Amino acid sequence: MIEFRNVSKVYSTGTHALNKVSLTIEKGEFVFIVGSSGAGKSTFLKLIMREEIPSSGSIIVNGMPLEKMKRRKVPMLRRTMGIVFQDFRLIDKMTVYDNVAFAMRAIGARPRAIKKRVPYILELVGLENKANNYPAELSGGEQQRVGLARALVNNPQMIIADEPTGNVDPEMSYEIIELLHEINKRGTTILIVTHEHELVHSFDSRVITIDKGVVVEDTMEIRTSKEDEE
Amino acid sequence: MKFSGFGYLLKEGIKSIWTNRMMSIASVGVLISCLLLTGAASLLSLNVSNAVDKVGGTNVTRVFLDLDILDEEAKFVEQDIAHLPNVEKTEFISKDEAIKDYQDTLREDIFNQLIGEGNPLPHAVDVTMTDLARYDETIGLILGVDGVDSVRDTKDIAEKLTSLQSLVNTLSFWIVLALVIVSVFIISNTIRMTMYARRFEISIMKSVGATDTFVRIPFVIEGMTIGLISGVVTSVLLVFLYDIIMKTVQNIAQFNFVPYSQVGIWASLIFILAGMLIGALGSMISISRYLRKEGNELLGW
Repeated sequence: MIEFRNVSKVYSTGTHALNKVSLTIEKGEFVFIVGSSGAGKSTFLKLIMREEIPSSGSIIVNGMPLEKMKRRKVPMLRRTMGIVFQDFRLIDKMTVYDNVAFAMRAIGARPRAIKKRVPYILELVGLENKANNYPAELSGGEQQRVGLARALVNNPQMIIADEPTGNVDPEMSYEIIELLHEINKRGTTILIVTHEHELVHSFDSRVITIDKGVVVEDTMEIRTSKEDEE
Repeated sequence: MKFSGFGYLLKEGIKSIWTNRMMSIASVGVLISCLLLTGAASLLSLNVSNAVDKVGGTNVTRVFLDLDILDEEAKFVEQDIAHLPNVEKTEFISKDEAIKDYQDTLREDIFNQLIGEGNPLPHAVDVTMTDLARYDETIGLILGVDGVDSVRDTKDIAEKLTSLQSLVNTLSFWIVLALVIVSVFIISNTIRMTMYARRFEISIMKSVGATDTFVRIPFVIEGMTIGLISGVVTSVLLVFLYDIIMKTVQNIAQFNFVPYSQVGIWASLIFILAGMLIGALGSMISISRYLRKEGNELLGW
């Protein structure tokens, strides 16, 4: 669950990245965040991950208030979310298996738990046969599925995908989003930042549009207000 | 932190030394030099202290009697000295005993001429004082005793050695301090390079919620291992170097070295501990600054 209340972010350079943004994303939702570059999408994500602190307003993510969160509590917040990057961010010298296992090792998981969990997740994303391959031997779509497996392996409440299809063939893009949709059906909240409008329109999901640091459109609000009218 | 991942972290730290072996070797080399110089300074200081203790600590003044004094008269002179104030103990050293000290250093035929009638040495009395602060006063009284010729003044040597000692100690302290700072800097630089090489992995670790401690451990292990290797190598080198220096100095001047067996274990222990401590400190400095960065800032993008 994400709750923004009157959140503004002004960088030390003077850039007003977000301006009094208020929104709520409930547990189990599947949401697209769209907007042109520089609209404030990145800042929005950084605030959720607590890479940045809001200049004003309050943020609650997965039950944790962020604006006064101590630095040493941040890892616990991040363990509730899985991040998928546009550029995959896989470690070249590690196999697919190790790339996924790395995320578990990084939080001190037991070797036995890793041995059990990683093959299961690789199967979930359809890469069980590529476990011993290196990232360079995979297609863009496959690499992103490794990224997704890594984001999922620690069983987060929420997946945040930052332009997950940016470096993937169009036909593969659809597949990636479809996979995220499948994961969403198991109860994981999914947040996808993208600027590919076509992709967004092929799914009937909530779309939040950010422009110049403000939420200019939120399809859920439109839907709820329509429901109110009826 | 759960301890389940520790084996993994240990492995990562050691692996990293191998991955960055050029830099590791360089820092081990510099650290060895620093530890050796530090050790040399400390051991010099120790040896000077030891020499001062020997001279000052024995607290015995040798009093020479007149050359032409008779054996029985000499015993009376000793009694006179023994009754002076501030004289704790006296020990009579007959000329026959005194000449024996030279037995080893002189050629046999020469030595044989010097025993008995040909002995050029006077009788002597070794005087131990109760209170060294009254040294000058007591010496004055001893010199006033009939039959006393002169006194071998060890106070002068002791004073010179004491001032040398404080000079050596001060110098050693600053050398050690400077070298420790240099060593910490070198290690911290090596670890910074390693961290830069692994910034990508660090950023992923942070994004999945690794604690700072967990990210830090492999680097601290790396720094400590570099320190450990340096400490061990330095200890081995010192065994040989100490022997060489000891022999060289003893060829030039009579100087009683503290035997290596007495200092060796301690020196090695200190080298290894100091190396590991410097390693840990050096890596901590680099990591703490690095860990405050987030996301792309960490990657330098």
